[in-house]
Amino acid sequence: MTSNVAGVGSTEETQLRRRPRWRSVAPLYLALLPLALVLGVVEYYPALSGIWYSFFDWNPGGDSPFIGLDNYSRMMGDHIWWQSFRVLGAIFLFAIASWVFPLLGAELLISLRNERAAFVYRTLLIAPMAFPGVVTALVWSFMYHPNDGVINTMLTTIGLGNLAQNWLGDPSIALIALLFVGFPFVAGLQFLVFYSTLQNVPKEIFEAAGIDGVGRLRRFWHIDLPLMATQVRLLFVLTIINTLQYGFVAYLLTAGGPDNATMVPVLRMLNVAFQGQDWGFAAALSTTLFLLTLAFSAIAALVGRRSSISNVRGRR
Amino acid sequence: MTFHAEHPVIPAEPLDPRDPEQSTGTAHTAQKGRNRPQVGIMVALTALVIVAFFPYLFMLLTSFKSKEQFAEQYWLPAWPLALDNYGKAFEQVAPYLFMTFLVAAVSVVAIIFLSLLSGYVLARFTFPGRQFFFLMVVALLMVPNIAALIPRFALARDLGMLNTFPVLVIPYVAGGLVLGTVLMKTFIEGIPQELFDAARVDGAGQGRLFFSIMLPLSFPVIGTVALINLIAIWNDFFWPLLTITENSLKTISVGLLFFQGQSGTDFGAMFAGYMLASLPLLLLFTFFSRYFLAGVQGGLPGSH
Repeated sequence: MTSNVAGVGSTEETQLRRRPRWRSVAPLYLALLPLALVLGVVEYYPALSGIWYSFFDWNPGGDSPFIGLDNYSRMMGDHIWWQSFRVLGAIFLFAIASWVFPLLGAELLISLRNERAAFVYRTLLIAPMAFPGVVTALVWSFMYHPNDGVINTMLTTIGLGNLAQNWLGDPSIALIALLFVGFPFVAGLQFLVFYSTLQNVPKEIFEAAGIDGVGRLRRFWHIDLPLMATQVRLLFVLTIINTLQYGFVAYLLTAGGPDNATMVPVLRMLNVAFQGQDWGFAAALSTTLFLLTLAFSAIAALVGRRSSISNVRGRR
Repeated sequence: MTFHAEHPVIPAEPLDPRDPEQSTGTAHTAQKGRNRPQVGIMVALTALVIVAFFPYLFMLLTSFKSKEQFAEQYWLPAWPLALDNYGKAFEQVAPYLFMTFLVAAVSVVAIIFLSLLSGYVLARFTFPGRQFFFLMVVALLMVPNIAALIPRFALARDLGMLNTFPVLVIPYVAGGLVLGTVLMKTFIEGIPQELFDAARVDGAGQGRLFFSIMLPLSFPVIGTVALINLIAIWNDFFWPLLTITENSLKTISVGLLFFQGQSGTDFGAMFAGYMLASLPLLLLFTFFSRYFLAGVQGGLPGSH
């Protein structure tokens, strides 16, 4: 690593004025060596080898003949793979629509004049975030349990027992059931972003609007939303990236079933690799997912540069 | 429900909501005369809180019920509390908790040390290739973890590292180092050069500068990096799921899944196990709320 780095000159702001001599910079490279090694082996090599092997009939430990774009043409014809993107589309639309709740929470909270009450509510609303993801997913899988589950028991208790059903076992409702995991979605990044953005708005603006007789709903459309525009854009892109990586909750609750109704790209990729032992094809799927995410991450980075990301990082 | 657009007279200094002395001061009295209490808003917020907490509350209540109590009394708490649920659950969940602690501790210490060192070198020295090196680290911020999962697994398998302790730790260290180095470098660049110069004039060597000047000044960012990684490791699922089949090496998320499968219809013990698995993060949230939020936000794809 050190030898190919040494050729690139660095001319910007010099803290040490003299030209570095080899003897004085050698310890610096030595200090960076662990970082370079770890990142090279665990980050760069796998990412690049994944792309490389997507052009092979990859048999780990065996013969891996080069097959060109065959894996990718197979991907084009893999209807489960494309169906999984339709599922992702639904997940994405639902995620955006569910912003209503964190928005509502943030707006309510910012309207609260009692600072102490606002602090208590803020803490309570974000506290569910502290539960590990796997606990949340497993608790919700119990909510949907067909026999002893909370939702079915509740329906029976209030006399609507005929509405009780196998929420995660029915292909037509399993996806909706999955999407509702974590309801009311207030404990999340969206809420934090909306709330801290609104909190950074000078109070005078809201006061002036109040004096001019602007109603609460109009203020939301014409003042609050435009002020949050950059953050909303950033959240939008982050939601796309998050959606592309969706898989953990689906794995725990439905494993992609029933009848592939909740199959998402990440699960399809894992199934192809681990159940099908079809590593080259899995590498092609992985590369596709990787490039898609990379593209959206690049957009996020561009959007993020224009907004001051420091706004997002909590208060003060 | 009515919303108010106007705000009370606000003192020039922003109120610190954590300071009870302040909030009972001028703002409170000014508010009393002018405004109706915001009952509507409070009710709506309380409703949101109740809905958000309901599943966890149910988990907490049920974790104290025996099988029989659960069968008779589904919703309300039942007496006496079936505390032995926690004993039963602890027996099974404790090894996973311990393993997760161990993995997290080793990873976080390695991440902090290496990213502090790299951040220090990248922020305070000029040498050929510095810019390029930093760019190579920053570029990794954009690589999604899940996309490298398959080739990384293949690498671990080819190296014969499946079902070992290092296979858990090393990817966490690598992942944590990316964001860690970037955060540390940015932070260390903000430390005034004069501090370092003054220490050097007083005869401090490089080691002294690192340990006596930079380390103590960097505690805030160290805390943030530590919590980001703790949360990420505690929540990580797919990597331990794929690489670890040995029960004694399982971390909490995969272990809990196995535990759920084992507990059958003994829901009390099952929820007690979930509570035990949540406790460490809940404690961290209680005591380090601000770092915790930074951790939640920093752990996003695109930034990690």
